[in-house]
Amino acid sequence: MSCSAANHAGLPDRVDAVTASVISSTLIAIAEEMGTALRNSAYSAAVREGDDFSTALFDRYGRLVAQGNFTPGHLGSMPFVLQHVLRYYPESSLRPGDGIFLNDAALGSGHFPDCYLVSPIHLQDRVVGYVASIAHHVDVGGAAPGSQLVQGVSEAYQEGIRILPVRAVRNDEFDEEFLRIFLGNVRLPDIVRGDLTAQKSANHIGAARFLELFAKHGAATMDRAIEHLLDVAEAATREEIRRIPSGSYRFSDYFDDAGPGTEPICVSVEVTVQDGNITFDFSDSSDQVGAAINSYLNYTRAYCFFAVKVFTDPRLPQNDGAIRPITVTSREGSFFNPTFPAPSGGRATIQVRIFEAISGALAEAVPNKAIAAFSHWSNPNIGGVDEKTGRPFIFYDLIMGGYGAMQSRDGAEALAAVMNCANIPIEMHERANPIRIRHFGFLPDSGGAGQFRGGCGIRKDVEVLTASARASLLSDRHVHAPYGLAGGKPGKLGETVLLRDGQARNLSSKETVMLRRGDILSFRLSGGGGFGDPALRETAAIERDLEEGYTTLDASRACYPQFKPESNPS
Amino acid sequence: MSRQVAFDVGGTFTDFALSEAGAVQQTFLKVPTTYPDPAKGVIAGLHQLIDAGWLDPDECDLVLHATTIATNAILERKGARTALITSMGFRDVLIIGRQKRHRTYEVAVNRTKPLLARSDIFEIRERVGADGEIVEPLDEAALDALARRLAEGGYDAVAVCLLHAYANPTHELSVRDALLRHAPYLRISLSHVVSPKIREYERTSTTVADAYVGPAVERYVASLKASLADLGITPSLSIMQSNGGLISTELACRMPIRIVESGPAAGVLLCAAVGRDEGLKNLLTFDMGGTTAKLGAVDDGEPAIVSGFEVDAADYKKGSGLPLNISSIELVEIGAGGGSIAEPLMGLLQVGPQSASSWPGPACYGRGGVRPTVTDANLLLGYLAADGFNNGAMTLDAEASRNAVQLHVASPLGLSVTEAAWGIHALATNNMERALRIISIERGRDPRDYTLIAFGGAGPLHAARLARQASVGRVLVPLGAGVGSALGLLRAAPKLDALTTRILPLVPESAVSMSEVFADLEAKLRSDLRQAHLTAQGSFQRAIYMRYKGQGFELKVSVPDGPIDHSFVAAARDAFQAAYRRIYGTAVPGSEIEAIDWLLVWQADAPGRRASVATHPMDAADPTTREVYFPETDGFVSCRIFSRSALAPGAVFDGPVIVTEPETTTVVLPGDRLEVTRQGNLLITIGAA
Repeated sequence: MSCSAANHAGLPDRVDAVTASVISSTLIAIAEEMGTALRNSAYSAAVREGDDFSTALFDRYGRLVAQGNFTPGHLGSMPFVLQHVLRYYPESSLRPGDGIFLNDAALGSGHFPDCYLVSPIHLQDRVVGYVASIAHHVDVGGAAPGSQLVQGVSEAYQEGIRILPVRAVRNDEFDEEFLRIFLGNVRLPDIVRGDLTAQKSANHIGAARFLELFAKHGAATMDRAIEHLLDVAEAATREEIRRIPSGSYRFSDYFDDAGPGTEPICVSVEVTVQDGNITFDFSDSSDQVGAAINSYLNYTRAYCFFAVKVFTDPRLPQNDGAIRPITVTSREGSFFNPTFPAPSGGRATIQVRIFEAISGALAEAVPNKAIAAFSHWSNPNIGGVDEKTGRPFIFYDLIMGGYGAMQSRDGAEALAAVMNCANIPIEMHERANPIRIRHFGFLPDSGGAGQFRGGCGIRKDVEVLTASARASLLSDRHVHAPYGLAGGKPGKLGETVLLRDGQARNLSSKETVMLRRGDILSFRLSGGGGFGDPALRETAAIERDLEEGYTTLDASRACYPQFKPESNPS
Repeated sequence: MSRQVAFDVGGTFTDFALSEAGAVQQTFLKVPTTYPDPAKGVIAGLHQLIDAGWLDPDECDLVLHATTIATNAILERKGARTALITSMGFRDVLIIGRQKRHRTYEVAVNRTKPLLARSDIFEIRERVGADGEIVEPLDEAALDALARRLAEGGYDAVAVCLLHAYANPTHELSVRDALLRHAPYLRISLSHVVSPKIREYERTSTTVADAYVGPAVERYVASLKASLADLGITPSLSIMQSNGGLISTELACRMPIRIVESGPAAGVLLCAAVGRDEGLKNLLTFDMGGTTAKLGAVDDGEPAIVSGFEVDAADYKKGSGLPLNISSIELVEIGAGGGSIAEPLMGLLQVGPQSASSWPGPACYGRGGVRPTVTDANLLLGYLAADGFNNGAMTLDAEASRNAVQLHVASPLGLSVTEAAWGIHALATNNMERALRIISIERGRDPRDYTLIAFGGAGPLHAARLARQASVGRVLVPLGAGVGSALGLLRAAPKLDALTTRILPLVPESAVSMSEVFADLEAKLRSDLRQAHLTAQGSFQRAIYMRYKGQGFELKVSVPDGPIDHSFVAAARDAFQAAYRRIYGTAVPGSEIEAIDWLLVWQADAPGRRASVATHPMDAADPTTREVYFPETDGFVSCRIFSRSALAPGAVFDGPVIVTEPETTTVVLPGDRLEVTRQGNLLITIGAA
C-alpha cells in the first residue's frame, strides 16, 4: 500500500543512530507543537475538547515521517493523503505558501466534517517535505446541523459540501473565492473560518520548524535519516507482529442497525498473522448501507492500525515504515469498504466496533492483551435556534462509559473507549446552548459480571430550553449487548429515552427526533463486558462494588452465587 | 540586629538560608528531611544554626518557609477523611473526571485515584443555572438531614461544590450554614471560595483537595510553631504559596490548597531576584535534578503565573493528574534528570522518562544500578569528575558507566561508547528542548529575548547546550543555586491573588460590569489582607483571561490600572490581539472577544531582601585540566576545570571551561564565553568567544 522513495542511489551509507534518534524526536516534537497550536486556537468543541484532529510531517516523496499523538481516527488516512494531493497537484505545480484543502470521504478521513489542509515546504525552489493538519469541523452543511445525520441520508450528496483537492491557500492566505464557496455552504461560517485559520497557523508553525531542521542537518543527512527512520520502524513493527502466534483468527458481532427499522449490520473480521505481516479482512461483513454510517476503507484502516499498537507495543512509531507490514482489506461495496456516494457522516459510531471485532478475534491468540467489549458511546447533535439570542446553536456531545474487563482487571470506569477524547463540561454546555443537563452519573449493575467485571454504563439527561430543536442520535448496543470474554457476561444493553409530559418513550439508537421545550433526552449507555467466570470473583471485590454503589444487593446475589451477605442492610 | 531565617523542606533535603539587616548571607545549610514529621528535621537544622552562632533566636524577627506537606498529603493519600456535597444528579462528576486516557494507545490504563470514594459523595436537591439564576430552590429539610448524617459519619472535612456556584454562591452558603449548625467541628471548603471558576470537574477537584489537605496543614503548622517557640523563636511564620507569594500561617490554614508546589515556586523567585540583581528582566528558568527537569519563566521581572496545574500526574502527562485551579508559578515538568535511563527502542535511542531514581541511582553510583543514565553519559564525556560528586559524598565509578553504556546502548545500536554517551547527552537535551519550547514559543515567548537561568544538580551542566539548541543567547548560573528555594524565600514578598469567572463581551458596554468585577475582587483581597494583618504598602495588578468568542482556551492578558472606560476596553482588546498574534502568528480581526476569568493580584512593594555582594578572593591555585568531549572539537580535548570559589568577580574565560562547586557543575562550550559577574553569578554568552 505504501509508496517508496523514487531514487536514493548515490547517497552515502546510513546515518548513525544518534543523528537519526535526534531527528526522529524532533520530528515528533514538531507534529506535537502543531497540534498544540491547532487545539489552543480552535473553535470546534470536537477539536479543543475531543482532540479530534491530527498533524503530520511528510518527506519530499510524500511519505509520512511523523504524526502527532492525537485521535487514532486519522491514522488510516494520514499516511495516504499526500498521494491523493500529489495526483491533483504534482510537485512542480506547488508554490511556496500554497495550501491544498480536501474533505472528500474517500480521499480524506471517511466523512465530510474532517477537513485536510496540506502545505508544501520549499527550500529555495525545491519541495523538501509537506505538513498536513486535519480537524473535525463543527458543520459542513447537509441535511442536519453537525453534518452527521444518519437516518434518512442515503447518498453522500445529502451530507454537505464535498471538496476534492483544491488550492485553497495562496501566499499563506486563504483564497477568498474558495472561502466564499465553502463558507456559503456551512451552518456556522464564522466558527468554520476560525478553525481553518487555526489549521493554517498549525501548518505554518510546522513548516518553519521543519525547515529549521533541514538548515541544521542539511538535506542529504535529512534524507538519509528519514530513510533510516522508516526502515527501523518497519523492522520494529514486524518484530512485534512476530510475537503474536501465527494463524488466522475470526470474530463476528452485530451493530444494532443503520437507523430505525433497518437490519443489523454484521461486523466480521479475519485477522491473519504470518511472517511479520498482519492482514485484516472485513469482507464477510454486511454490505454498505443506505444510511450515513458506512466506514470508508481509510477509516476502517485507522482502527486496525490502532489495534496493532494495542496488541503489540503502543510505542510503535506512526510513519510510513510502520504501516508497511499491515494490510487492511474488505470487499468492495461492503460496509467497511463502501463505494462513493455511500453516506458516512455518522461513521464515528462504528470505530469502537472495528477495534472490538479485532480484540474478539485476537483474544484467542493474545489473551493477556484482549479486552471485552466497551460501553458503546453516544454522540448526539441537538440543533436549532436559541430563542434568547436568535442565533443558531449546535449542542454536540460525547457521552462515554466504561471499559470491558481484561484477564486480570476490572473494566475501567468512565474513560473514552477507542477514539480518545475528553467530555465537555456541563457548565460549558449550559452556557453555550439552550439546554440543561439534569443528570450525569454511573448506571449501577450495568457492567457485565465476571471474575473481573465490566465498567458501568453512564446516564446523561439533557433538557431542551428553547421552543424547538432537532436531535440526531448516534449510538448503539441498544439491541446487541457488549460481549464478555472467557465466560464473562455481556454488559447491560443501552437505551435512549425521550421523557415528554411525564411519559417515557424508548427511541432507536440512531433516530432523528424533533424536540420541544421541556423534553428530556435520557442517554443510558450499555455497560462493558466481563472477563472470566463470575463464580471466580473475589467476595471482597463484590462487597466493595456494593459499598460504592456500582452494583445493588439484588444484582450481586443474582450474578455471584458465592456472595452471601451476612445480614440484610436496610 | 534584624535577622531572618528561611527553610525549604524538600523531598530529600531541608535547606536553610539566612539574612541579616536585609542582606542575604552566604551561609547555607542542608540537613536530611525527616519522616513522618518534617518539623523534626527543621528543628534539628535550626539547632545547628544556633549552635554554630549563625542564628540568635532573640534577634530573629521573621521565619519563612516552603513545604511539601500539602503535596505529600495528596501524593500519599494521607489527607483528612473528606465528604463531598454536590448538586442532585451529579454525584459522579468527580469520579468520571474528563474521561480522556493519558495514553492513547493503551487500553490497560490506570487512572489516578480520586481523593475520596464514591460512598463519600452526597447529593442535595438544588439547582443554579448558567446565568446564576435559581432553577430549583435548595431543599432545606433534606439539607438538615444530610448535615446531621455527616456529623455522625466520622468525617474531618467537607467539600461543597454545586453547579454554577461561581455565578451564584447562595446555595453553597446555605450548605455551609447548615453544616455549621449541625457539625461545627468539620472543616468546610466551598467551591465558590476556593475556586470560583467555570468547569465543574476542575472546580470540584480543587475544592475536594483543599478540604483534604486542610487538617494536615493545620496540624503541621501548630506543631512547627510549638517547636519554634521551644527554641525561643517566636516571630511570625510565613509560608510560600504556589503563586510565589508569602502568606501568614493563618491564611495558609484558611486556604491550604494554595501551598501545594511551594518549594518549586520559591526556586523561580530566586531566579527573578537574581535577574533583578543582574538587570535581566526576561528569564527562562531551568531546574534539573535527579529525576525531572522543571522549566519556568520570568517576564519583565515577574515570575509567570498560571491559573491551574495538576498534581499526581502519571509520566508528567497532562490530563493524567488531579487538576487544581489555583494560581501557580508556571512550570513545565518532564521526566528528564540525571537518573533518566537510556535504552534502545525500536532501533532508535530513547532517554527517559524511566528513571533510576536516587536509589539505586545511575550505574556509576556503584549501588547496584546497571542501566545507563544521563549521569553515566556525563561522566564518560568528562562533564562530571569521578571525585567530589554531590559535595564529595561519593566517588563515581566510570568503569561501571562504561560497561552499562557499552552493554545497553553502544552494542545494540552499533556505536562506540563515546558516541553512545554523546547520544544520551544529546537526546536528554532534546527532551528538555521540547519542554523549553513549550514554555517559550508555544506560550508566546521568543527565546532570543530571554536568558536561561540554570540551577539544580544537573541544570548548569546541560544549560549551555540547551540554550544553543533553543536559540537562547545567554545562560546565568546563580550563586547558591544548590539551596535555590531557601534563598528564593528570602527574596520573596508577600502576595495575594483572587480570581473569578464572569463571562462578558469585551466591549465598552461591559464597562460597568467590568468595574464591578474588579471592585469585588479588590474588596475580597482587602479583607484577606486585614485578616492576615498585612499592613505593608502594596499595589494591585489586573489581568483578564480572554478568548475569541466560541473558543475553548483563554489567554492571560495584563490590563492597565485606572478607570474602566472606552480606552481601557480598547487597551485590553489590543493587548489580547497582540498576545494572540505572538502565539498563533495571526489574529482573527473582527471576531468578538470574550473575557472569562478575572484576576487581581496584590503584591507588597518591598522587594524582599537583597543579595549580599560576593567577596570571594581569587584562589591562587591554577585550574586543573581533564579530557572532555565536545562535538565542536571532534572529540576529547584538554579542558580547564575551575573551582567556583576560586573565581573572582570580573573574571572572563573562553570555553571550553568547566566550573565545579559542591552541589553542581557548569559546562561552558567551545565558542561560548564565561564571565563572573559582580554579584558572583556565572554568565555564559553563547557564541561570544
